[in-house]
This record gives sequence, C-alpha cells and structure tokens, in this order.
Amino acid sequence: MEFIDYYKLLELDKSASQADIKKAYRRLARKYHPDLNPDDKAAQARFQQINEAHEVLSDPEKRKKYDEYGKDWKHADQFEEARRQQAASGGGFGGGFGGGGQSYSYSGSFDEDTFSDFFEQMFGGRARARGSHRGGHFKGQDYNAELQLRLSEVYRSQKHTLTVNGKNIRLTIPAGVENGQTIKIRGHGGPGVQGGPKGDLYITFNIINNTNFRREKENLYSTEEIDLTTAVLGGEIHVRTFDGKVKLKVKPGTQNGARVKLSGKGFPKYKKENQFGDLYITYKVKTPEHLTAKQRELFEELKKSGL
Amino acid sequence: MKKEDLIPAEEICIRYEVEHQFVSSLSEIGIIEIITIEDAEYVHCDYLGDFEKMIRLHRDLDINLEGLEAINHLLKRIRELQKDNRRLKNRLGLYE
Repeated sequence: MEFIDYYKLLELDKSASQADIKKAYRRLARKYHPDLNPDDKAAQARFQQINEAHEVLSDPEKRKKYDEYGKDWKHADQFEEARRQQAASGGGFGGGFGGGGQSYSYSGSFDEDTFSDFFEQMFGGRARARGSHRGGHFKGQDYNAELQLRLSEVYRSQKHTLTVNGKNIRLTIPAGVENGQTIKIRGHGGPGVQGGPKGDLYITFNIINNTNFRREKENLYSTEEIDLTTAVLGGEIHVRTFDGKVKLKVKPGTQNGARVKLSGKGFPKYKKENQFGDLYITYKVKTPEHLTAKQRELFEELKKSGL
Repeated sequence: MKKEDLIPAEEICIRYEVEHQFVSSLSEIGIIEIITIEDAEYVHCDYLGDFEKMIRLHRDLDINLEGLEAINHLLKRIRELQKDNRRLKNRLGLYE
C-alpha cells in the first residue's frame, strides 16, 4: 500500500486554505468528472482519487490526522494504541481518532469501492457512497462489459451466460449484432443506493471476422474467381454464401470486377426475424497463365479475327 | 408505452430530493420528457440515467441549468461522433 499525497493530487501545497482546496477540487472535478468523460476509465480513476483527496483535506479532523502522520501513517495504529493506554491510565490526549466503525461519506456518485486501501487503512471503515450529497435514492451503477464473438457466431441468435461481478446472467444475443454495438440489459448493474433501482448492464460486442466475407451492416461482400471462357461465353458457377452454396448464372461478356447482387443472401437484419441483407459478389476473371500449344493457336486465331 | 415504465414526477422529486421546478426545467430544455396522463406527470424510466447524470453534475460541480443544457448537447455530439467513428472503422475493415 503506497502513501498517497493528497496535496499533490489536488495540485496544492500544505498551507492551502479550505477555500483553495474547494477551488482546486472543483477545477479538477470539472475536468475529470466521469459524466463528462464517457468511457474514459483513466478519467474515472483520477476523479476517484480527487474525490478521496477532497474527502480528507476538506474535513479539518481528517486533514489534521493526515497532516500529523503523513508518510508515517502506517504507524498511526500504534500511536492510537499508545493514546488509548494513556487515556485509560488517567492521562489524556483530547480528541483522538475516528472510530473504526465510523462511516464517511463522499461527494461522488459511483460505486462503493472507490476509495483506496490507503484511505481505508488510515481513516477506518469503507467509505460509503451515498450517491447523493443529500442522501437521495439513486439508481445503482451501470456496468460495462465487452463480449468477443466470431462473425460466424452472430449469424444466428445465440444464448450466452456471462459472469458479471460473480453473478451469472443468461442472455440471448440476437442474430445480426454489429461490431462495436452496445446493448442494454436493464437491472443487471450495481445495486441501487438507499432503495434506488438497480443499474443497467451495457454489453459492447467485439466481433472478429473469421470468414472470407466482408460485412457492412446486414450486407455481405465476397470475391469469386471465374475462368476466362465463362466470363466471355457465360455459364453457371457455384458460389459460397454464408450458410452454403448457390448456383449462379454468369452472363456472357462479364467484365473483371463486375458485381452481382444476391438478394436476401446477406447477414440477418438485427432483431428482424427472417429478414436478411444482400450478398454482393465481385467477379475476378482468371487469365490463364500456361497455355498448351493448341490453346495458344486458338488465341492467335481469335486475335487475328479482331478480338 | 407500458404504464409500469413510467415514474410519477412527484415520486422522482421525493426520491431524489429535488424541486419539481428542477424536473420541469430539465424537461423544458429537452433532457427528459414529461408525459401527462390524466393530469398526473410521469417520466419514462429510460430517462432516469440522464436525469441522474444531470443531478450529479448539478450537485457535484455546481452547474446551472444553462450549463447542463450545453453539456447535454455536447455529450450527445460526443456519442454521435463515437458512433460515426465506430461505423467508419467498421467500413475501413472492408478494405483491409
């Protein structure tokens, strides 16, 4: 457990007045408040440290204790014991420490485990998040989780069991979720504060493409090679779709890079049962590299004919 | 809209210890929506997260209603830009 320099955290020196502390806290809180820095874990961690520093330095008693022991805070318990013994034997140190069972409140509105071990050790007892400075009933903290899935897995609706804070949550992930998409599961976040409702769970999907298809929303894209004669004369080929193969007619005179659309052969539309996007196939005409003598002769003839 | 998803504005004022005026003002600047059914005012639970965020900013940082309106607007812009950024990254993946 490291000593935390609360003055340094608030960018103050030890002689700072209560007004200076308040001003510094406000300035830094505005900069790092988690509500103003969405999805920024570093800002949230910094805000919690700032909160902790403010909690100590803005309270004259806590500040006195902090200033008194400073870097020797680890020995605070020994000092306390000595004081207690002295008091019991008739001596006396006025004041003393806050009792172990005393609870402190802070002005943040996040989870209950926001104070450092240093704080807990020095000031005794876990700080309790009130959520509100005025003891209001607040919704619990929202949890954020990331779930990594393969593209092939999100082609169909899937049942998953997630463990969030030691609790198993079973959920059905609808087919067609997108990479980076976030879904909200109401009531699976942190417990409410003073009877407030539970927070929500936000799951962000990280989808890894493990296929040869490229996906844009519900449409899929792929490339199929066709031989030169099929491109020139037309014909039939088998092409891969996401869940199988289909036979496809190639028009005579198909150009390299030509694109065809297979309606309804794309990816499932999110939360729209039995609706699919389209599959776009780009033809790549394969030019023969090694010709037999006969084939070469035929190509020469074609050339002479003006092709 | 399900009735059980609506929270009476009066209850919100009691639970969060705010004046009714604060709730009305947030509605006026478009941060939450007040639904009136048979003369009673309600707030849909989907607005609860934004509502609490505004209370935190108001109380933690002493931000007034005009400030909350500006912050709400900018946070919306950030969310839109993050969404755009994600969409563009997904599209970029098509050409990688």
